[in-house]
Amino acid sequence: MHETLDCLDAIAWVQDYLKHELTPERTAELRAHLERCPPCFRYVRFEQRFLEMLERPAQGCTCPEALRARIERELSREMEQG
Amino acid sequence: MAEPTTAGRQFDAEALPHLDALYRVALRLTGDPSQAEDLVQDTMLKAYRAWQQYRPGTNAKGWLLTILRNTFINDYRRRKLEPVATDLEAVEPHAIYRAVEDVDPEGAFFAKIVDDQVLEAIDALPPEFREVLVLSDMEGLRYGEIAETLHVPVGTVKSRLFRARRLLQQSLYEYAVETGIITPREAPHA
Repeated sequence: MHETLDCLDAIAWVQDYLKHELTPERTAELRAHLERCPPCFRYVRFEQRFLEMLERPAQGCTCPEALRARIERELSREMEQG
Repeated sequence: MAEPTTAGRQFDAEALPHLDALYRVALRLTGDPSQAEDLVQDTMLKAYRAWQQYRPGTNAKGWLLTILRNTFINDYRRRKLEPVATDLEAVEPHAIYRAVEDVDPEGAFFAKIVDDQVLEAIDALPPEFREVLVLSDMEGLRYGEIAETLHVPVGTVKSRLFRARRLLQQSLYEYAVETGIITPREAPHA
């Protein structure tokens, strides 16, 4: 058990942590650090807000129906030709 | 009207559910709705013709995105990618956080920036950084899937994503200050 994770290491791990790509050991270490370090905790919140913003635009943006229909038409033509 | 073949049915079941994601990525790559439509259609036809190369049950979305990106590079992009200097050492991960921590420590200002402005800032990123950010943070692909799609090592994905996020935070911060969404603390008088 390390008790030595400092803020610079913690900050360097935040990107992988927020993508759920940090190893379980490091995740535990980072969480322990965040519990006792309010500035790093706030920094993680900051990055989370940023990522929430980036997830927003995809929600209302879908493939136009006309395009979907055109693709399905083209595909069935291909399939008939074999 | 012939019965759809097994391959045809498999393709419909595995590929068609990803049309929304393909269209969104195409929009960000081309920056133009009608080009994005053509790109998605070309991608789906190529994918169908290459369907026997797809291993069922593997990552169909990543496989389709690879075809989309290759098609974009070969047939759509007018100018070549210029290599981008990756001077990661020069960027602090939390530079923008530092700039706002006194007035908005948890980044509430991000929620106040409208989607069109977010997209405009993303579209202004250098292409190498933009595509990684779009695949990771807008479409939720993992590092490994992005590396496969772009044919680059995972380390490259991570460093481009890091840089992309810093650049985007910088530009959105500047926008937020210009438009009064954020009022930075007065610089101390000398």
